[in-house]
Amino acid sequence: MRRVALGLLVVFLSGLVFGGIAFAEEVTLTVTWAAWAPMDALIALAEDFTAKTGIKVKGDPIPWPQYHDKVFTEFASGKTSFDIVLPDSQWLGEAVVGGHLLDITDWFNEKVNKEEFSDMLIRSYCEYPDGSGRYYGVPALADFFGLAYRTDLFNDPEEKKAFKEKYGYDLKVPETWSELKDVAEFFTRPEKNLYGIALWQAPMATAGLVDHFLACFWSFGAELWDPNTKKVKGYLNSEEGKAAARYWVDLYRFHPPGAANYSMDETNTAMQQGLVAITGTYLAFYPGLVDPQLSLYWDKVDFAPTPKEKEWWVQLGGQGMSISAYTPYKKEALMFLEWWLSPETQWKWAQLGMFSCFNSVINDDRYLEFAPVNKVHRVVAPILKDFWEIPEYNEMGTVMAEILNAAILGKYTPEEAMDLIAEKHEEILERAGYYK
Amino acid sequence: MDVRSTWANRVSDRGMLYLFLLPTFGFLLFLVIFPLIWSLYLSFCDYSANAARPPVFIGIENYSSIFREKEVWDRFVTTGKFVLLAVAIEFFLGFGIAMLLNREFYGKGFLTTLFILPMMFSPAVIGKFFRFMMDTNWGIINYILGRLFGIPKIAWTTSYEYALYSLVITDVWIWTPFIILLSLAGLSSVPSYLYEAADVDRASGWFKFRYITLPYVAPILILAVLFRTMDAFRFFDVVYVLTEGGPGYATQIIPFYIYKLAFSFWRTGRSCALAYVLLIIIIALSNIYITYLNRLRRA
Repeated sequence: MRRVALGLLVVFLSGLVFGGIAFAEEVTLTVTWAAWAPMDALIALAEDFTAKTGIKVKGDPIPWPQYHDKVFTEFASGKTSFDIVLPDSQWLGEAVVGGHLLDITDWFNEKVNKEEFSDMLIRSYCEYPDGSGRYYGVPALADFFGLAYRTDLFNDPEEKKAFKEKYGYDLKVPETWSELKDVAEFFTRPEKNLYGIALWQAPMATAGLVDHFLACFWSFGAELWDPNTKKVKGYLNSEEGKAAARYWVDLYRFHPPGAANYSMDETNTAMQQGLVAITGTYLAFYPGLVDPQLSLYWDKVDFAPTPKEKEWWVQLGGQGMSISAYTPYKKEALMFLEWWLSPETQWKWAQLGMFSCFNSVINDDRYLEFAPVNKVHRVVAPILKDFWEIPEYNEMGTVMAEILNAAILGKYTPEEAMDLIAEKHEEILERAGYYK
Repeated sequence: MDVRSTWANRVSDRGMLYLFLLPTFGFLLFLVIFPLIWSLYLSFCDYSANAARPPVFIGIENYSSIFREKEVWDRFVTTGKFVLLAVAIEFFLGFGIAMLLNREFYGKGFLTTLFILPMMFSPAVIGKFFRFMMDTNWGIINYILGRLFGIPKIAWTTSYEYALYSLVITDVWIWTPFIILLSLAGLSSVPSYLYEAADVDRASGWFKFRYITLPYVAPILILAVLFRTMDAFRFFDVVYVLTEGGPGYATQIIPFYIYKLAFSFWRTGRSCALAYVLLIIIIALSNIYITYLNRLRRA
C-alpha cells in the first residue's frame, strides 16, 4: 500500500514539474485593440507569427466608445489583461507619463528603420515627448480622415447639369471646404430624405467632432496653440479659427436631422442607407461601406481626400503598437513587434486591405490595388497632422467637442464658442502646470 | 479524548460570536469601509489614479472649486430636473397603474407580469434599444409619429429641447414598474372590511381613497419614492448609452460627470469630492423623506 501511495506521489509530482515546464513554455500574447476590421485582420495575420515562433496570439477587442477608458482603467490598476496594446496616437503622453508603456528606446534604435516611416508617424505613435528620442511603440495603422461619396449622384448627367446651372462650375468631388459646402447644399433635399453630408459631430474628445473639425480648422490656417509657450488665446480663437468654426456651424445645416451625435457608426449607416451624398470618416472604416451585406450603395461609393482651403491638413487617426509595462512577456512582445515590422508582414497586412505605415509599401503601385481607399492614403500621407498628445488631451478635446457641439445647435455663436474653448484650454493647461 | 480540552470548548460564546463575525467584518472593512475612507481622503487631494505620483493634500480646494464653476452648477440643475421629472412621473403613473391592477379581472396576473418586465432588463441594454427607437431618421418612434400624426422628425437624443426628456422617458419606462410593485403591496394590505364598511355608509370613491387607501399606502409610497429618488441620483448607464451626455453637456447629470472626471480625465481627487457632495445631497434628501415617513407613522 505504501509503495502504491509513493508511486502515485511520484507520478503526481512529475506531472506538476513537467506539466509546469510545458505550461511555462506555452506563452500566449494578448493583444487589445478596438473591435473593428483591422483587429480581426491583425489576429488572423498573427497566425504567421505563431507558426514561426510557437507563441500564440489572441485578441481582446473592445468596442470603440469604451476603448480608452477600459485600457486606462487597467493601466491604473497596475496590472493589465493584455500584453500588447494599440493606443490612439493622442493617448501616448497620457500612457507614458503614467508609466504604463514599456520604454523600448534601445530596441527601437537597434531594430527599427526610421527611414521607412514619415516623421509624423514616429512622433505620433512612437516618441514622447516629441524630439526626446524616447520610444514607446512602433507605427501600426496609419488611419486618416477622408470622404466617401455616392458615385451615382456625382456621375448623374442631370445632377451635373443642375449643379452647373446653380453654382457656375462643374459638379465634382469637392477639393476645398468651400466646394464641399456647395455640394452639401446642392444635395440637401429633405423632401426626398436625402441630405448633403454627414460628418462626425458627437461631443466626444475622440471618435467625435474634434477629429473632423480639426482638419477643417488647420486648413483654414488656424493653430491650436503656440507650440513653445502653450498659450492658446490668440491661436485657437484667431480670426482663422473663428472662420473655421463659422464654416463648421454653417455646414451643419446640410446634415441629416439629429446628426449632432454622429460618430463612426452613424456616418457609416447614413451612407449605407443612402441618406447622404457625402460622408466623412476615418477611412479604416471603409469595409462597411463596400460590403453588399451592409450597404445598399456598396457598389456606388468611392473615396476622396479631406478637402483643403488656405492650407491642406488631414487629421491623423490610427494607432501605434505598444507593450504594456505590466506584461510578464516583454521578450515575446518585442518579438511580436519585430515580426510586425518585417516587410513580409507589412505586405500581407496591406493585402488584407489595411493601411500600412511603411513608405516603401505606400509608394508601391501594387498598394493601390489592395483597397479602394489606398489611393487616398498615398495622397494624404505627407499632410497628416495630429492634435495634442499631452496627458490632458482628453479633457481639452472634450471641452472643444462639447462647446462646438453646442454651437452647431445654436447654444453659442461660433465666435463665442472659440473664445470659450480657448479660455477653458488655458485653464486646463494652467492647472496642469504648463505655464510655470 | 477529553472534550473539555478541545479548542472550541475553550472559546466563550461571546468569543465565538466575534469569530463568526470577523470574516464578514473583514470583508466589509476591505471592500466598503476602506474605499470610503480612502476616497474621502483623496477628495482632499490633488491626485490622478492614472499618473505615477502620490496624492498631494490640498485641503478643501476640490470642494470649493466645484462650487465655483458654472459648468458644475449646470450639471446639478440638470440632475435636479431629471430626478424631479422622472420620480414624479413614475410616482403618479406607477400608483395609477397599481390602482387599476388592484382589482380582480381576467388576465390580471399576466398583465401585472408584463408591467413589471422592464425592470428586469439591464438598463444599458434598454438604453441601446431606446437609442435605436429614438433615432431621428430610422427610429420607430419618429416613424409612428410621422405616419399617424404627420409630425416632423424629432431629434430626441440630440437636441436641447428633447434630450433630457428622452432620458426621463427611458427612466420612466424602466422604473415605473418598481412603483407599481410597491404600490400593489401597499394596496393589498388595506383590510377589505374597511371598504365594506364605507360602502355601507355610502361613502364616495374619493372619500374611500382619501381616508382609507391613502393612509394605508402612504408609508410604502414614501419608501418607494425614497428608493427611486436615491436611485435617480445615481442614474448613469442609460445616459452613457443613450445620449452620452450630449448635446454639448446638456444631459450630463452628476453621476455621468463624475465618471468623466474619474475615468476620462483622471481627475481622481476632484471626482471623489463631487461624489461626496452627491452623497451628502442624497443623505439629506433621504432624511427629509424619513422624517416625513416617521411623522406619517405617528399620525
